Amino acid sequence: MMLLRLISWPYARKHGFRWLLTIAGIVLGVAVFVGMHTANQSVLAAFQQTIDRIAGKAQLQVTAGEPGFDEGVLDKVRSLPEVSAAAPVIEATVSAGGTNLLILGVDMLGDRSLRTYDLENSEDGIDDPLVFLAQPDSLMVSKTLADRKGLTIGSRLPLDTMAGQEVFIVRGIMQPGGLAGAFGGDLAVMDIYAAEKMFGRGKRFDRVDLALKEGVSLDEGEEKLKASLGPGFQVEPPSSRGQQFEATSRVYAIASDITSLFALFIGMFIIYNTFAIAVTQRRAEIGILRALGATRAQIRTLFLAESALTGLAGTALGIVAGLALARAMAGYIGSLLQDVYGVAQGAGEITLDPKLALAAGAMGVLTSLVAAVIPARNAARVDPVKALQKGQYQSLSEGENRARRRWAIACVCASLVALGFGRIGVVLYAGFLLAVLAAVLLSPAVTLWLARAIRPVLAKVRPVEGTLAADSLIQAPRRTSGTVAALMLSLALVVSLGGLARASYDAIAEWMHVSLNLDLLVTPVENLTNRTFVLPESLGAGLRAIPGVADVQMVRGVRIQVNGSPVMLLAADHGALMRFSHQPLVAGHPARMLEQTLAGAGAIASENFVTLHGAKLGDSVEIPSPSGMLHMRIAGVVRDFTDQQGTLFISRDAYVRAWNDTGITSFGIFLKPGFSAPGVRQAILNAFSAKSRIFVMTNAEVRGYIDRLTNQWFGLTYVQIAVAVLVAILGIVNALTVSITDRRRELGVLQAVGGLRWQIRHTIWMEAAAIGVIGLALGLGLGAVQLYYSVQVTQRDIIGIDLGYAYPFGIAFGLLPVILGAAWLAALGPGEQAVRGSLVEALEYE
Amino acid sequence: MISLKGVSKQFDGARKVTALDRIDLEICRGELVAIVGPSGSGKSTLLNLIGGLDRATSGEVVLDGSALSQLSDDELTRIRRDKIGFIFQFFNLLPTLSCLENVSLPLHLRGWPRKKTAERARELLELVKLDARMDHLPDELSGGERQRVAIARALSVYPPVLLADEPTGNLDSVTGLEILDLIHDLHQRLGSTVLVVTHDAGVAESCARTIHIRDGRVFEDVTK
Repeated sequence: MMLLRLISWPYARKHGFRWLLTIAGIVLGVAVFVGMHTANQSVLAAFQQTIDRIAGKAQLQVTAGEPGFDEGVLDKVRSLPEVSAAAPVIEATVSAGGTNLLILGVDMLGDRSLRTYDLENSEDGIDDPLVFLAQPDSLMVSKTLADRKGLTIGSRLPLDTMAGQEVFIVRGIMQPGGLAGAFGGDLAVMDIYAAEKMFGRGKRFDRVDLALKEGVSLDEGEEKLKASLGPGFQVEPPSSRGQQFEATSRVYAIASDITSLFALFIGMFIIYNTFAIAVTQRRAEIGILRALGATRAQIRTLFLAESALTGLAGTALGIVAGLALARAMAGYIGSLLQDVYGVAQGAGEITLDPKLALAAGAMGVLTSLVAAVIPARNAARVDPVKALQKGQYQSLSEGENRARRRWAIACVCASLVALGFGRIGVVLYAGFLLAVLAAVLLSPAVTLWLARAIRPVLAKVRPVEGTLAADSLIQAPRRTSGTVAALMLSLALVVSLGGLARASYDAIAEWMHVSLNLDLLVTPVENLTNRTFVLPESLGAGLRAIPGVADVQMVRGVRIQVNGSPVMLLAADHGALMRFSHQPLVAGHPARMLEQTLAGAGAIASENFVTLHGAKLGDSVEIPSPSGMLHMRIAGVVRDFTDQQGTLFISRDAYVRAWNDTGITSFGIFLKPGFSAPGVRQAILNAFSAKSRIFVMTNAEVRGYIDRLTNQWFGLTYVQIAVAVLVAILGIVNALTVSITDRRRELGVLQAVGGLRWQIRHTIWMEAAAIGVIGLALGLGLGAVQLYYSVQVTQRDIIGIDLGYAYPFGIAFGLLPVILGAAWLAALGPGEQAVRGSLVEALEYE
Repeated sequence: MISLKGVSKQFDGARKVTALDRIDLEICRGELVAIVGPSGSGKSTLLNLIGGLDRATSGEVVLDGSALSQLSDDELTRIRRDKIGFIFQFFNLLPTLSCLENVSLPLHLRGWPRKKTAERARELLELVKLDARMDHLPDELSGGERQRVAIARALSVYPPVLLADEPTGNLDSVTGLEILDLIHDLHQRLGSTVLVVTHDAGVAESCARTIHIRDGRVFEDVTK
């Protein structure tokens, strides 16, 4: 502790800016980790809170995926002796006046045994459920919503329904807390039969909430209900819905974890760099300490303690920054989850989870300690006699370099061997890590080699500035190797993410070309992911009668659980199945798979379904439905991007038979030659919009919507890229700040013999540019390898689709100006620092 | 050529230190002047002010008609570049550049064409008798050879003023004498005004004029 105060503290104070930069690496990593997790947790907690508040006293819930089930199931549930109370529910979100509103359709007769409606100022006998039932336009709203929208008892609230906009009357206001606090208070309760009509559900409920009789355990009740209802129903406690929500947004959670871990990993190199430089600069100090009797262990502990404190400070600041980031991101994440997964849920209160804080602390300190292990070991090995001699000691010793090269070659060999066993997950990941490790180990040697190679080029551009810039890199590999490694890793991440994004865009474009070749799409909602509203089958006949319509294809999309995981089920009629069967084929025979699917014996599976479920062509899939478990053979596998969790295409006839649901979520319309899409769209709207809630999108609008969704999803990728580039810039600033301190005398000489300020600045800028170019060269190389592994991992464990390997040359070329620009920006501060200050002191600087 | 009027220099710190106190001096074109005095007397500070490496707290330094306090940093640099050559005690050569590159440095900074720069650098290295060492790095040279390179660099544009701060202070006596001879030789051949800060009585003896500095003031100014 005394050594920390006497030795470390004065050094940290003297090099305050550099320590701030070092800490910045940890701050950024921890901030992204805490920010993304807190924002995720906030959305998840709000969702869980909504579930809890809505659940009331319900112990179990009976569901059958998004399509719900016939009203008759309620009687079956109620007839069980173990059940004390059961109430049906329809739950959906609608947009009302720019905000999302959760509508809960309940049966007021039976619901009060499960939920408490704490009403204030109730009038018109709203406490009497029969009155509520007798007036289907009744609505109970939360106090929060009433205050926000200025609603009182008797207020009229227009809401979109399947039959167009209808006015509902506020007949009750629920006191804050309990049920009224669900969905952030944006809650309205209506009669369940009014809700069926409003959302076009027919005679179907979303679920049944129930309480068990005293003395009946949850397991017992669950078992009895499952036995009675059959395998097509899920009987689970309300809390399990939170797990389903988590499972649905799994890909997003993985992507955000990768971002924060990578930021920390790159931050580790900045810390390594700083400590490696500090050991070099403080050799004399270490020499004196050793001469005065400090043991090697004391020196090593001193540096490790410094790094632990650095990590702790970075973590503390990172947590604060992370909470701010979470506040900024929560809204974005909420809308992303709604748009991509169709689950509407705003963010709740942003609070720091103590477990998350502990995990962040451990990560920050551990990262810092790991980064300082090698520099601390080198510090402990400093020879006191040599250390007390004047002169620079910068270059890596040949022995150290040789050892690194040997380790790098070993890693490359092991990585190549691992490639041969790529099918095994652990081996694939190990191969990936070994390849990255090899690149990191080789980076100092390659940096040196490249710096020597570009010296003549830089000298040609500017004889003095260019030569000195290159020499600075050649003479001080410790100073630059960590920065170059950080830059290399950042740019490799950019290349691999960019390559994945490019491949995804290309694959989605190809998919849209085949499966979205319709002229118009008729839906009950303004987007393609919300399945709250359902159109009646009868609309199909009406659409066929519109002049210019050649064909109408009907699709019902619902999310169900297959093998415990959420899966999209697309029930398509003959025409739509033909269209889907023409998607890029992965396995199977197009004609045979269509034939089997139309016959109701098989299902067409998306590529990601078979990968994520470990299935293959010909396997039997068990699809739970209210009429029992459907056993369908995988008749074919196609590349499809409808859902990240996988999609099954089945015949609509089979769906209607099993679910007894004739609702439609989209009508695909093909036009006769000579008819324009805008003209027919207007004709459809004229014919139906007054009677029914419909939206008509042209092909271009559908593609535009999917493009927007894809862009929104890759928004996260851009965040990852921004974090990577930011960390790399921090690295360059760090290296240059050290460089101008180390070269203070050299820069002073340059000014003394006539170097003008701009010439000094140019030297620093060229050094930054050289670091940028070397980092870019290494990053583009490692990016090529990383992209290969990213494609494998993405296919195997994330989206289950083989996107193919295509090096993003456009991004690679585009990175050159970005990195040179970033390097220039990073060099501005150090460049100014270099031309200021006393020339006399600079010339006397040792 | 060089004129100092009431020049003072104070260093601000925990305690204010007056390094130079109201110095008045006139040095004519072509003079060879030794500035001597004990450690901390202010002789190096005086050289730094004359060379435009530092600025006076008060008073005025005029070099070849230019009042240095009136100049911006870049204008001051141009004065250093075109009119002054520096020779430092610790040579201050750039370790990564060869002898030829070190000597070429000021010429490149002036934007001279490469060919002309190389010709002049070779000519200067021949002048200091280092034509066989042109491609060597400073680390590969002896102390005396390094100082010769530093002198060649200082002479790169044949400046009218040559400032040397303890040019023999880091050399053994024999090499010191060689360097001193070289400075005298160049002074005679090139006619530059030369100011040499030194501790060495022998060096001071060899100069036509000796200025003694003590406690930041001119204690004695002797011309032979």
